[in-house]
Amino acid sequence: MAETPVLELRAITKRFPGVVANDRVSLDLMPGEVHALLGENGAGKSTLMNVLYGLYHPDEGEILVKGEKLSLGSPKDAIEHGIGMVHQHFMLIPVMTVAENVVLASEPTRGRLLLDYAEAERSVRELSERFGLRVEPGARIESIGVGQQQRVEILKALYRGADILVLDEPTAVLTPQEAEDLFAVIRSLTGQGKSVIFISHKLHEVLEVADRISVLRRGKLVETIAREGATEESLARAMVGREVLLRVDKKPATPGEELLAVDDLHVVDARGIEAVRGVSLRVRAGEIVGIAGVDGNGQAELIDALSGLLHATAGRVTIAGKDVTNATAKHVLDVGLGHIPQDRQRRGLVLQFTLAENLVLHDYDAEPNSRRGWLHPRVLIARARTLLQAFDVRGGGPTTRAGALSGGNQQKVILAREIERNPRVLIAAQPTRGLDVGAIEFVHRRLIEERDEGRAILLVSLELDEILSLSDRILVMYGGRFVGEFGADATEQELGIAMIGGTVKGAAA
Amino acid sequence: MSDDEGRERAAEETARETPGVAEKLALYQRAGGVLTALMTALIAFLIGGLVVLASGSNPFSTYGAVFNGTGLNWLFPWVTGAARTTAGLNLQQTLLLTTPLILCGLAVAFAFRCGMFNIGGEGQYLVGSIMAVWIGSSFLKMNGPLHIVLTIVVAALAGGLYAGIAGFLKATVGAHEVITTIMLNWIAVWVGSWLFGLGGPLQSHANGAAVPVSNDIAQGAHLHVFWGDPVLQGLHVGFFVALAALVVYWLTLNRTTLGYQVRAVGFNPEAARYGGIGVARNYFRAMAIAGLFAGVAGAVDVLGWEFRLNVNDIQISNIGFIAIAVALLGRNTAVGVFFSALLFGALLNGTSTRNLDPTVFRPDLAGNLTLIIQGLVVLFVGADVLVLWVWNQRRRLRPRRAGAVGSS
Amino acid sequence: MSAPELVRVAPARLREPKAVGVGGILLGVLAFWLTLPPAKATSLLVPVLVGALAAACGAWAVFRGARRVGWGAIVAGALGAGLGIAATHSGRGNLTTTFAWSALIASMLVYSTPLTYAAIGGLWSERSGVVNIGLEGMMLTGAFFGIWGADKTGNWLLGLLIAMGAGGLLALVYGFFAIHLRTDQIVGGTAINFLALGITGYLFIDVYGSNGTPDLSVGHWLHGQSIPDIPISQHGGFFETAFGDLNLMVWIAFAVLILTHVIVFRTPLGLRLRSVGEHPRAADTVGISVFKTRYAAVTLSGMLSAMGGAYLSIGFVHSFNQNMTEGRGFIALAALIFGKWRPAGAFAAALLFGFSSALAQRLGTIPHWASYAVLFQALPYVLTLIAVAGVIGRSIPPAADGQPYTKQ
Repeated sequence: MAETPVLELRAITKRFPGVVANDRVSLDLMPGEVHALLGENGAGKSTLMNVLYGLYHPDEGEILVKGEKLSLGSPKDAIEHGIGMVHQHFMLIPVMTVAENVVLASEPTRGRLLLDYAEAERSVRELSERFGLRVEPGARIESIGVGQQQRVEILKALYRGADILVLDEPTAVLTPQEAEDLFAVIRSLTGQGKSVIFISHKLHEVLEVADRISVLRRGKLVETIAREGATEESLARAMVGREVLLRVDKKPATPGEELLAVDDLHVVDARGIEAVRGVSLRVRAGEIVGIAGVDGNGQAELIDALSGLLHATAGRVTIAGKDVTNATAKHVLDVGLGHIPQDRQRRGLVLQFTLAENLVLHDYDAEPNSRRGWLHPRVLIARARTLLQAFDVRGGGPTTRAGALSGGNQQKVILAREIERNPRVLIAAQPTRGLDVGAIEFVHRRLIEERDEGRAILLVSLELDEILSLSDRILVMYGGRFVGEFGADATEQELGIAMIGGTVKGAAA
Repeated sequence: MSDDEGRERAAEETARETPGVAEKLALYQRAGGVLTALMTALIAFLIGGLVVLASGSNPFSTYGAVFNGTGLNWLFPWVTGAARTTAGLNLQQTLLLTTPLILCGLAVAFAFRCGMFNIGGEGQYLVGSIMAVWIGSSFLKMNGPLHIVLTIVVAALAGGLYAGIAGFLKATVGAHEVITTIMLNWIAVWVGSWLFGLGGPLQSHANGAAVPVSNDIAQGAHLHVFWGDPVLQGLHVGFFVALAALVVYWLTLNRTTLGYQVRAVGFNPEAARYGGIGVARNYFRAMAIAGLFAGVAGAVDVLGWEFRLNVNDIQISNIGFIAIAVALLGRNTAVGVFFSALLFGALLNGTSTRNLDPTVFRPDLAGNLTLIIQGLVVLFVGADVLVLWVWNQRRRLRPRRAGAVGSS
Repeated sequence: MSAPELVRVAPARLREPKAVGVGGILLGVLAFWLTLPPAKATSLLVPVLVGALAAACGAWAVFRGARRVGWGAIVAGALGAGLGIAATHSGRGNLTTTFAWSALIASMLVYSTPLTYAAIGGLWSERSGVVNIGLEGMMLTGAFFGIWGADKTGNWLLGLLIAMGAGGLLALVYGFFAIHLRTDQIVGGTAINFLALGITGYLFIDVYGSNGTPDLSVGHWLHGQSIPDIPISQHGGFFETAFGDLNLMVWIAFAVLILTHVIVFRTPLGLRLRSVGEHPRAADTVGISVFKTRYAAVTLSGMLSAMGGAYLSIGFVHSFNQNMTEGRGFIALAALIFGKWRPAGAFAAALLFGFSSALAQRLGTIPHWASYAVLFQALPYVLTLIAVAGVIGRSIPPAADGQPYTKQ
């Protein structure tokens, strides 16, 4: 490894209104090195990389590439200095071909004016063979899979002569197999002298692929350590600044009657791909059934089909004995389903509505909230006042707009609304995503309480911790099917293997 | 994994997001207030003044003359005698124009509150007018008030159905309402031109059928003129219909379950769907209701002072387009729509050939000056950055006053 | 010599299916060309044989995998043969019917040319992600400044350039609001239409008063105030009547069309333009200036629309009156949508809409049909409405069309 770093970030500070996203962060990168940037969501990793790539202009600090100062806030200059970025959300144009996307803005020409498509495809093919990135140059982006799209992004950077590649959460959208392929590509890149910054919040990946690891927490650099000296535990502590495992006190479940029954459900997603392929499950009163799995294995589509938001192509759903297969969302709600949605800002709340209005999102048309089509604002406000107090919502009253609350309080509003309707079955999809510790504890405690009240709870989460600490039974979803069923005493390893499609003892399909 | 994430993301998103109708609604709500609306109008008039200056007239005396032409000086107690009589006549004219602007403005605003951009106020207004002329000039023996009610109801339904086409297409195949309503506008223009044109099925047979004009509506179906001379186009009771429509608009949006649904869909269709509200159904419904308002506008104009339609009326009418400016400047609220309709009504009337003092400004140019000022208002009304800028100024002032350290 | 035989003797490179397909297309054109002066084949056999050869080449190309070009050759062969037959037929008389049809084609080209310019202009703008419903206003501006320039300078070419300058300037203003100030593009476009109507009306009355624009002189080529016609042939045959005496601007429109297609779909410049219209952030991250691209595209769209307007005033009507474009900008917008944002599609739609105008004009001269002629004016809008409803395959705009872009 050479002595001089190819890249140095010196005391970068970037502020957004109300938050310091990067606070004097310094970082360096050696040739042929994989340097991982580790941190929780919102720790400032993406911001730092956007500064590096010139998409954000930092408030303070400087960047040196091979000893040369980079002019800040200019992607063009970053590109010219050999920095290539693979964004978390791909910067690809769906209606254009792979080759067109790769050569965009530095196109080969024929007769100086016309674009030379043949040459473009040839150089893409050549690059892809050299680094082991399999793609079809003539294919349209919209017709290829996510893993291939990511390879196109990497090719884009390489085509522009990038020596430094920034991969922003590259595995978030990949299946475990695709992730393995990616790691192979990264090794082939560094083998040919390229350097890689690898951003992630997944400990095992970082330990697998990185040479050195820098940990960011709340915008500050906590430490930079070599892989040899790092363990999952030490990294986890540095990342969150506290002990990680949250254990919830709970009594053993006393399951009662069967409230949710799903039989051989098939669901096709918006792109026309069958996302749920024959799923059956039972949830009884007084138990929490957890669904674990890597994102994008059909969990979202399953929930949407259960709550009447997506059409099921085959199968049967019953809630408390009533057939609600492909019933309208309204009908499912009325039969007795509560649903804490995955994305509270896009789906769970109308941010511009007041809390009082948000609390009647399902029941605005029922008495006493309204009568014969007329709303009763005073009733709404009185009702909201009671609920906000009962669920300890802080930061606003009934007439406050939902958008003005913090994430934790927004989630409490949703909990209040869903639970207050006294549902027989409660679906909680990633109920603590993006919340702080206090709010997480509140939500967890509340879910256990509701279980003990005799509701049937279906918990879907990407966090194994959460699944393990709350569930009485655990189902693992992979490729649109359940590939394993476990008791509450399952270990992370068992679940982890099932989540990537491996077979485990005791797995029931 | 903290609330910082949310805030960081939100900060990044406000910097990045591309505002559609829903975001724009949210922006107006946050950055709302009268201030921004007033400012945009002011800038437009300022530039309009420069146009006047460039053409060699004095902008102050021109705007003074325009103001007198609007008749708004009638409100000043010190205007007396003959001046007051003239002012009264002018104000009647202004309010006569304000009436359809309020109704068409509501047509744009209502759709906007459901997240749709209704460019089709013009077409819906024309369809309403056409139906009003047809019904109003038929059934000549009908009882007057009944005839009026029938005419208005049919015109409203026609406007609603016509707008409903755009709503239906958006709800079923997702066709963009801007494109469909533009097309519907022109279809209305040309079909109207055919109906009343030479040899058209609804052309008047008086004068040997040589003039491309409709039959007159029945005497009994004329709206009562409560202020001014019925022969000189005094102010008719349709004005109160418009005022009532403002109340209906506010009540519907804020006090009914239907309004709740419309607003939820307008702000966040995904959350509305999750909440059990039929999004597609509300697109259709909101568009149709918007069309009702515009259809009524057509009817009160026909029954109140036009009494007949000729092909030229149809082709040069642009009430529905001005209504876009009315709704946007009025921030899609009932009160806002009233005041901005009044502003545009006054502007139209104050610069009309009839009302502008010819010694101050050439009246034959004035109509075009109105168009220029209208264009400028619409141009500035839509400039988000202006709104944001004003909003940021306000926000910058606030923490300093509270003594807080924070965003800069 | 049969097609495979021809293929065998051709050098290796020419034996590729694609090359054969292109050859087929050329043969198809030849089939038709041979019947025109100066070759003027009179035998039916010539176009039929050459056309069949073209189709054979096409079939072979399709069979060997070059599907698009191959089908193109088959169609070209069939068309060439058909038109060729028509041409030899017309050469032998039967004047009344051919005259009617050929005159109709000439008339269609006349009516579709302004639409073509504006639609191509709109294409540039919308391909860069800026919706342009101000085409109407930009056309109108071109129409006025074209005649004003030609009148003041005495030369049509200078008039045309002045028109393009004025249209470009108006588009630049629109661009500033739409791109920099992030004004809603629908609102901004509406404002531009108002402004253009006001400004041209104002200046028209200010400069020409009630007398209207003066008569324009007609000269040879670069002389004169009117854009000259291009006399290719004065004979009375089918193609002579259709294409023999068209205005220069009609031919320039063809050139603009082809050039636009090549630039947009075959050059780096076009790739960048489209990338900005589809995914501006992606374009930005590889160093393409979204703002510069959009400004250039919007300005160009104003200049092209103005060319369409100028053709209307100094190439076709030879005078100007207020609002003379009468919604042609909106028909152009409809053509763009109908043609799915592609040059050839937009042109085909413009031809179709031009044909309906030509038909309307002819119908207007037939006694009992005159009143229905006006209905043909609505046809483009009805067709576009049906098109966006998805009956003829969905029309999908560039992904970022209408969305303002914000740099961080």
